[in-house]
Amino acid sequence: MRRAFDVVFAVAAGLVLAFLLLPILALFIRVAPADLLDALWSEVALDALWVSLKTGLIAHVFVLLVGTPAAYFLATKRFRGRGVLITLVELPLVLPPAVAGIALLALFSRRGLLGEELYALGIKVPLTQAAVVMAVTFVAMPFYVRQAIASFETVDPALIEASRTLGASPKRTFWRIALPLSATGLGAGSALAWARGTGEFGATIMFAGSLQGVTQTMPLAIYAQLGLDQDIAIAIGALLVLVSLTVLLSVKLLPSWTRLTSISYISSAPSGSSSS
Amino acid sequence: MKRLAALVAASLLAASCGGDEDGAGSDLEGITVFAAASLTEVFQEIAPDVTFNFAGSDELATQIREGAPADVYAAAGPRYPDELFEEGLLEEPQIFATNRLVLIVPADNPAGIESVEDLLADGVKLVVGAEGVPIGDYTRTVLENMGMTDVLDNVASNEEDVKGVVGKITSGAADAGFVYVTDATAAGDGVEAIELPEAAQAVVQYPIAVVVDSGKAEAAREFVDLILGEDGREALADAGFGPP
Repeated sequence: MRRAFDVVFAVAAGLVLAFLLLPILALFIRVAPADLLDALWSEVALDALWVSLKTGLIAHVFVLLVGTPAAYFLATKRFRGRGVLITLVELPLVLPPAVAGIALLALFSRRGLLGEELYALGIKVPLTQAAVVMAVTFVAMPFYVRQAIASFETVDPALIEASRTLGASPKRTFWRIALPLSATGLGAGSALAWARGTGEFGATIMFAGSLQGVTQTMPLAIYAQLGLDQDIAIAIGALLVLVSLTVLLSVKLLPSWTRLTSISYISSAPSGSSSS
Repeated sequence: MKRLAALVAASLLAASCGGDEDGAGSDLEGITVFAAASLTEVFQEIAPDVTFNFAGSDELATQIREGAPADVYAAAGPRYPDELFEEGLLEEPQIFATNRLVLIVPADNPAGIESVEDLLADGVKLVVGAEGVPIGDYTRTVLENMGMTDVLDNVASNEEDVKGVVGKITSGAADAGFVYVTDATAAGDGVEAIELPEAAQAVVQYPIAVVVDSGKAEAAREFVDLILGEDGREALADAGFGPP
């Protein structure tokens, strides 16, 4: 009886693995490695890589610079409606990307909520590289902020308290205590947000369109090349698998790496504040 | 390996389309028709029970090559049907309709576009079909015929099918786009169509053919006959398509 139970569950595990990994394996087997590299050197693929890197980087800087203080605020302050606010920040996590696309259009297009005023000022967001950055930021931000809130919340309040009673300013406490102690979680959130941003497709194609070298990111190039030169589509796909794998591994390996560094931060923090 | 991948893709598509013979209604209910995006409204009107997969003709051709479960293929140009016919994947294509291109602008025409020449102005956001997609290739042909390929400098997006172009106009994201006259008609009040010179028009022909691997060849032929027959002709004419 127990044996049959184990077998059924093992088969289920095997099925899940096969279903998830066979398509990815097929992607790499379909085209010879040398042809894959050739396809990656094509202008379309290089342009898409450049657009993805540029827009992804700008969006990511924005996510980190604005998302970190926002998350610290939401994690440490207690006020009415805080729970609602956190839930709203997380909404885009579960929102279909196509909804994000049409929502951004509803706000920024010529007939949009802000669009009329913006167009009057000459600011036309849809179908530009800025639109790609916004679409990526919209879908990636919640991944980071959610993780950052959770990380800041796990910092022992006693340590914050101690830092403050020892005379460190809130700013110094944030930089020397809260941030280093949350580094692991922030790093993981950052990596996940980057991965989600790199994979953005639905919102981008609706809000930013698809123009090679301007708004055509790697996922959009895969879609565009499917009917034209499938080798290029597959090559970009394979590259994105490697990028995703790197992100995943870094999230898994990050904790053991930062554990070492954060200990040195804690031991140096009190001496740092006593000297001020 | 390749065959396995195609099989998996095909069964997934079959599952997602949900096309299955229940025995109820006509034989047509069980077939899956792959059709160009510009045929969306008119095909659904002619045969509401058929399972359709509407997309760019190039994308559909790729799916059929991969072994997707199509019974009929109707494209917005002879290029891909002819290729599939030569590859032995398609029975001989027959032309069932023609179309022509127009320039569309949002109903309130914010950029004040009255002609193709106006598309040359700075800051105009033009949306066209991508190269390799029928509407994209026809658009480039028309612009070449007019000696107006410079307007392509103002392209803000290359869309993967004609409905993508319409969507960018109706949503107010772009100022103008080239589509088939039938799509302009289908979009209704949301857009305004600007006619293009007759002499510059591209020859837009719609071929249809039964897929060789179709397991329901008889019903598939019935659908092709329906499109080529009187009812089909009438509905196509009402939608603004020209005779073959």
